[in-house]
Amino acid sequence: MSQNTAAAAVAEPANTTEELLGRIGQLTRQLREGLRELGLDKQVARAAQAIPDARDRLSYVAATTERAAHRALNAIDVAQPLQEALSTDAKGLSKRWDEWFKNPIELDHARELVLDTRGYLDGVPERASAINSQLMEILMAQDFQDLTGQVIKKMMEVVNDVETQLLQVLIDNSAPEKRHEAAQSLQNGPQVKPGNPDAVTDQAQVDDLLESLGF
Amino acid sequence: MIDKSIKILVVDDFPTMRRIVRNLLKELEFHNVDEAEDGAAGIEKLRGGNFGFVVSDWNMPNMDGLTMLQTIRADPELKKLPVLMVTAEAKKENIVAAAQAGANGYVVKPFTAATLEEKLTKIFEKLAKEAA
Repeated sequence: MSQNTAAAAVAEPANTTEELLGRIGQLTRQLREGLRELGLDKQVARAAQAIPDARDRLSYVAATTERAAHRALNAIDVAQPLQEALSTDAKGLSKRWDEWFKNPIELDHARELVLDTRGYLDGVPERASAINSQLMEILMAQDFQDLTGQVIKKMMEVVNDVETQLLQVLIDNSAPEKRHEAAQSLQNGPQVKPGNPDAVTDQAQVDDLLESLGF
Repeated sequence: MIDKSIKILVVDDFPTMRRIVRNLLKELEFHNVDEAEDGAAGIEKLRGGNFGFVVSDWNMPNMDGLTMLQTIRADPELKKLPVLMVTAEAKKENIVAAAQAGANGYVVKPFTAATLEEKLTKIFEKLAKEAA
């Protein structure tokens, strides 16, 4: 049949679009038949089905981790001024005591200082507990690890499944010289697997590399 | 002596990372900090924005950090602006490409406050020496 279409294309060049569409249709049919013969059609369908699900899981992980980071940063924003005020007040009182000890005669001055110090001490537990509740908030914000960890584990199963199936299809259908050619890109994100000889693992290696290049 | 009132632009598509970098800069007493969510928005803010320093991510939508760096170096108004790359891109070819494009420093994520401070100080010292 392909010989017929090829012959027709030569004979009637005005019909090329129709001929081309016909050939694409034929190739698609062949591919589907091939996949069915190899028993891959169901696996490919399952892989395709897993993709939207995987996208949902990934956006869940992104949203959850972002929320957790903001929650922790918000708590720090609240706690830092409380902590600073505790320290500033203590420093102020300390300075006044130092001055009084240098010249310990003004009793009125000392009485006021004692009252202020007592007031500060009375207030410390409450202020410390306000800071502590922010620390607890930071602690609780880490619950994302559990949630996203579970989702990521499920994702890894899906990815593993899809990878195995697609890889088999690719290996079966690609030219031998293309098999070892990895995609080259400058936007790979974090190195999720250690031991890549083309990547650095810490800041010291970045510095060494730049230095060796004269930067 | 480092001028702590210098205006710094933090360019990163992740709001959490912008917050972390901004907080670290605040800890180092740099209070004059602005943010942009990608390279294109960054360039827009930089033009006429009177910035003295840029901290940028690499992998961002619209315009990535490397393209932004190249755009800065090609712009007569901006070309001398110091740029520190802070990125998860850890491949050697990335570091080389950034250096060749004129980055003043390169920090890989995840990073510590101490690393950021060290690189900032180093860049400012080098610039001061060049200016003298």
